[in-house]
Amino acid sequence: MQGTQHSITNSNLIKQLPKSIAFLNKDLEIVFVSEKWTTNFGVSNQNITGKQIQEIISFISEKWLKSLNNSLDGKSTKSEIENYYDENSNQKWLEWTNAPWYDENKNIIGVIVQTENVTHKLFESNKIEKLEILLKGKSEISKIGTWEYDAVKDQMSWCDITKNIYDVSKSYKPSIDSFFNFYKEGYSRNTIAMAMDKAMRHGTAWNEKLQLTTARGKDIWILAAGKPVFKNDKYIGIVGSFQDITNQVQSKSKTEEKERIFKSIFNSSHQFTGILGTDGSILEISDTVLKFTNLKEEDLINKKFWDAYWWPIQDFVREGLKQIIGAAAAGEFMRSEIVVLDNNQKKSYIDFSLRPVYDKNNKVVSLLAEGRFINEMVSARKKLKESEQKFRELYALSPVGYILNEFESGTVLDFNNSFAKTTGYCTKDIGTLNFKHIIKNSTKKTLKRILKELAEKSTFGPLEHVYTKQDGTTYPVLVHGSLVKNGKGEKLIWTMAQDISETKEKEKEIKTERKLLKTLIDNLPLNVYIKDIDSKKILVNKSEVEFSGFENEKNLLGKTDFDLYDEQTAQSYRDEDLRVLNTLNPILGKETLCIKKDGSIATLLISKIPLKGEDGTANSLVGISVDISYLKQKEDELRKLINVTSLQNKKLINFAHIVSHNLRSHTANFSMLLNFLVEEKDETEKTNLIKMLVTASDNLLETIDNLNTVVDINTNINIEKTPVKINDTISLVKKNISALIKAKKATLINEVPDSASVRAIPSYMESIIMNFITNSIKYKHPDRDPIIKITSTKNNGYIVISIKDNGIGIDLKKYGDKLFGMYKTFHKNPDAKGIGLYITKNQVEAMNGKIITCSEVDKGTTFNIYLNEKN
Amino acid sequence: MRKINSICIIDDDPITVFGIKKILNSIIVCDNIYTYINGKIAIDGIKEMLIDGKDMPDVLFLDINMPIMDGWQFLEEFIHLDIDKKVRVNIVTSSIDPIDKEKSELYKTRTGHTIVFINKPISREGIQKITKAA
Repeated sequence: MQGTQHSITNSNLIKQLPKSIAFLNKDLEIVFVSEKWTTNFGVSNQNITGKQIQEIISFISEKWLKSLNNSLDGKSTKSEIENYYDENSNQKWLEWTNAPWYDENKNIIGVIVQTENVTHKLFESNKIEKLEILLKGKSEISKIGTWEYDAVKDQMSWCDITKNIYDVSKSYKPSIDSFFNFYKEGYSRNTIAMAMDKAMRHGTAWNEKLQLTTARGKDIWILAAGKPVFKNDKYIGIVGSFQDITNQVQSKSKTEEKERIFKSIFNSSHQFTGILGTDGSILEISDTVLKFTNLKEEDLINKKFWDAYWWPIQDFVREGLKQIIGAAAAGEFMRSEIVVLDNNQKKSYIDFSLRPVYDKNNKVVSLLAEGRFINEMVSARKKLKESEQKFRELYALSPVGYILNEFESGTVLDFNNSFAKTTGYCTKDIGTLNFKHIIKNSTKKTLKRILKELAEKSTFGPLEHVYTKQDGTTYPVLVHGSLVKNGKGEKLIWTMAQDISETKEKEKEIKTERKLLKTLIDNLPLNVYIKDIDSKKILVNKSEVEFSGFENEKNLLGKTDFDLYDEQTAQSYRDEDLRVLNTLNPILGKETLCIKKDGSIATLLISKIPLKGEDGTANSLVGISVDISYLKQKEDELRKLINVTSLQNKKLINFAHIVSHNLRSHTANFSMLLNFLVEEKDETEKTNLIKMLVTASDNLLETIDNLNTVVDINTNINIEKTPVKINDTISLVKKNISALIKAKKATLINEVPDSASVRAIPSYMESIIMNFITNSIKYKHPDRDPIIKITSTKNNGYIVISIKDNGIGIDLKKYGDKLFGMYKTFHKNPDAKGIGLYITKNQVEAMNGKIITCSEVDKGTTFNIYLNEKN
Repeated sequence: MRKINSICIIDDDPITVFGIKKILNSIIVCDNIYTYINGKIAIDGIKEMLIDGKDMPDVLFLDINMPIMDGWQFLEEFIHLDIDKKVRVNIVTSSIDPIDKEKSELYKTRTGHTIVFINKPISREGIQKITKAA
């Protein structure tokens, strides 16, 4: 019973072997067996000792049995793979190894059989599990469906789970075509088709993550695996599996996102993050820290936090850090604000915190170190501080009084120095005041109105209130306020009080000044106005109002020159205005003619000065004008008077010259002849000289006579004029010179109407007409008899008598200025004495008339005598 | 007695012409004394002399106040004539108007001829002084 002894000692040991192993005796009955073996063959609960192996392994092949017997015969170890279906009809593969069982004496006492499930090994390592599942089949929990394709019969069969995954009924009959159609078009369908093709041709298996659309239209992710089945090297079909992994895919993408978010937070550029051990050693550190400190990960990992040279730190800081980390490790949350220098030596503010991380057992396992850049926050905080300080200073120093009250109770919360000064309250009393006292002596009505305003618009005022000083004098204060809320949401009233007595005083002064100015402007003897950019009058003084013909200034304000003057005048004024406004050059003392709407004309001396605004451009102008019409009129009269006087003067000088010259020439002759006479010895010559002296004497007399006539005319300018019928004069002259007319065969044509008459001196009229007619006859053309035509017309207030002849004419270019001169003759006519026209001219001018001559040599002359009808 | 080739008197007053002639006869010998009663006749006569190639007068006695063409108008035309000889122009006038005197000064600057301005009455001594070739 050696074997039995052995078996007893070894039985426990063998049982525990991690391998699937069985010991058989020479009858191939089981002696010892490992637990794994019994599990493998599904007999773990049975007492199989003493049973033949064929009884346990129903599928045992002939080959295996033969090999077992061979081993009993002492033949060497043999291994073989056995294909079988287990109790659940799953195909499995196992590798068996048989070896002879020797006792201590090297006698064969049985066979040792080791089996190994090699189903996994038959597939690629990552597919083993799937295949196992595939082969295990219908597990409801794992949701793995299987399918088979029998290539010989061209039949496809799906298990219930597969049908369930596909959302088809249990009675559904799948085909190879419909099988493909469930896959999503594109990648998924192509991939499965190619995998099937490859499996048939090359015997390869597949395992792919694919998408398919179920019969109910649901998109799902599946893990599709499959492999071809060969029988005697002949392809007979395919088996495959499905696993719905939609949830895994989705949860995977969720996990990935979580990880990404975590990483991005961890590595965010504004935050330092690190995980420390409880002893302060660095376990993990974010990129931000590395970037900021210019260090590498390996420089920091596993170092103590206080030893890692992020930035230069002093010893006491290091000690401080140790303590903080210690405290955090003890479960305390530590947080403080620190200032560090970055790798550019620039100051950075960091909000540093250490948060203990606990495990399930509430034990601190690590520390989460966080540092957040708070530079912006720090600078904002600084600014806030500054502005608050500014506000405080303003508040304290402002000349405006401020007071803060609670809205509900009216209690005073705060006030500045100026408040007491402005309101006249004693500083120590103000704290005891109520909001209703702020507006001193205010009536209930006023207070009610203020509170209403506050409630509706959150503000009140500004309102002007009269405060009384202790001495009884009053002064005006401008009060206004607004409703605010403090951090707690309580309503407060800010009230501002401003002493405006100075402003009031100034206003009064300005008013007085304005009145003074207005009075001044109004009483100026000038027209003053201000026009806006559209030339509308926006200010006018009394003179301007009067000049424009209005009763009061309201009627004139807003009007333009187009409303007052004629189109042309107004346009020229508008042009001037625009020029002044655009060029900023003033117009000073310009004389202009102003025609009003009623046609009356005035002469104005105008000045226009641009009114410049703060931006340097002009939007209005000041106009000053003086009506100088009266002066103008006087000036015209004066000018006329001067003209008359200078004309008279000229005439006198002329006359004086004539007199001196004519008299001198005669006296010179006398003087000369008398000299000759004194020296003359010859009597005959003496007689001759005396004759000449007589001639000279006659000439002198005649000259004096002529001059007398002229003097007469010029001295008798005041002779009364009477109405003279022109035709009466002409008839008289005609009668007087009838002999001359007849002798010279002259024709006189009188076309003057009988009604024509002038106010004139009759004798002058006679002389004038006679002179011109005789002149025409005297200077008749040698080739023709004289024809003289007399007409009369009215022209511009004048009666014009024209005497036209067909005589020799005068070259007016040459002699025009001398035509009416004394003793000027222009013709070779021996009768010409040069006195007639001179006298005629004097007579016409004595009656305020004038003579205008037209003449053409060889054609004739027309004398037009202008006589003033009115005078 | 001095001899002068040709003298021209332009004056509308016969008494003056008579006087000048009488004085001239007593102080010089002159075969050709021309008289014209106004400027127009005088300028026409002188132009004719130029055309005929006759000798230009050496001395002119010129009155100012004359009918048809006065002394100034005559002088204006005369200074523009192409005369290669320097002529003495004696302006003899009763005018004491300073304007006439100034006018004569102006003509002096405008011509190469000699211009002299004297007032009437004329005397033997006066005529003697101004009666010589320019």
